[in-house]
Amino acid sequence: MAANPMQQFEVHRIGPEIKISGIDLSFTNSSLFMTISAVLITALLLFGTREKKLVPSKIQLMSEMLYNFIAKMISDTAGKKAKPYFPFIFSLFVFILFCNMIGMLPYSFTVTSHIIVTLTFAIFIFIGVTILGFVIHGFKYLKIFVPSGVPIVLLPIITIIEIISYLSRPVSLSVRLFANMMAGHTMLKVFGGFVISLGLIGGWLPLSFSVALTGLEILVAFLQAYVFAILTCIYLNDALNLHH
Amino acid sequence: MSDLEDLKTRLKIAKSKLQNKNLKKAEKKGVFLGNAFKLGTELVAAVVVGTIIGFILDNWFGTKPILIIVFFLFGAAAGIVNVFKAAKKMQGDGN
Repeated sequence: MAANPMQQFEVHRIGPEIKISGIDLSFTNSSLFMTISAVLITALLLFGTREKKLVPSKIQLMSEMLYNFIAKMISDTAGKKAKPYFPFIFSLFVFILFCNMIGMLPYSFTVTSHIIVTLTFAIFIFIGVTILGFVIHGFKYLKIFVPSGVPIVLLPIITIIEIISYLSRPVSLSVRLFANMMAGHTMLKVFGGFVISLGLIGGWLPLSFSVALTGLEILVAFLQAYVFAILTCIYLNDALNLHH
Repeated sequence: MSDLEDLKTRLKIAKSKLQNKNLKKAEKKGVFLGNAFKLGTELVAAVVVGTIIGFILDNWFGTKPILIIVFFLFGAAAGIVNVFKAAKKMQGDGN
């Protein structure tokens, strides 16, 4: 059926099939849209920093605002020690933001509406932050599982709870982004389908909903990229400044 | 001439104040909405992780329904701990 609201999430191959030792590495529409976002980001930042005027042009202003926004976010949430990780968080935020925003264009594909993409991000962050914690603090990093001031009797239970809470980080991080993007886009398509099936007489109501939802989805697209980046900062902060 | 200079600086100060105010308001709004989105999944994810751990351990030790129930409860507790931690952080930011 043409009006299937889940059809937009289908991944299909573009060009020839590439298989290396049984793993399918073909170029898909998902990879295409990731490439488009990467190219757009590079173009924005390259053009934005080409002419460094005192009175900035619009494109220079945009890239400078983006830089300031992330720099402020990192210093607010993770402190000065997190400055070396600025490039990582900047690329993460900008890439997710562009993927989300490009997904809002009609006929495009939303890369971040697939759990495999968001889970890969989240697991990389999780493993990276854990390794960082152990490198900086050694085995003292295990202290985050043992909060101070807990009676000995409760300690095993609290430790298990803290470990589960720590392990739930990548899950909540990835599911939040994926679920928000997928739910929003499905809803948009469902309302779009209502417009067609109700026709000229009743179609105006779902159409107005659709317009309102598009606005909401643009907000969500930005907000989810922001939340993803800020949570990465918070996890980084926990690993850098151990305090319990 | 000095009047004009005076007016210029006053205008500048007023403008920057207004800008700061608007920026802060918009920023705060975004932060609160972001927090609201955060809390829900925080609660659910811990329950899911706890249940999965219980399921795996049950398969290892062959104690079918016991550990999955225990770890489901642990997961729920961890979820509440997560929400408490997030709320604490928000209060810290607010002050």
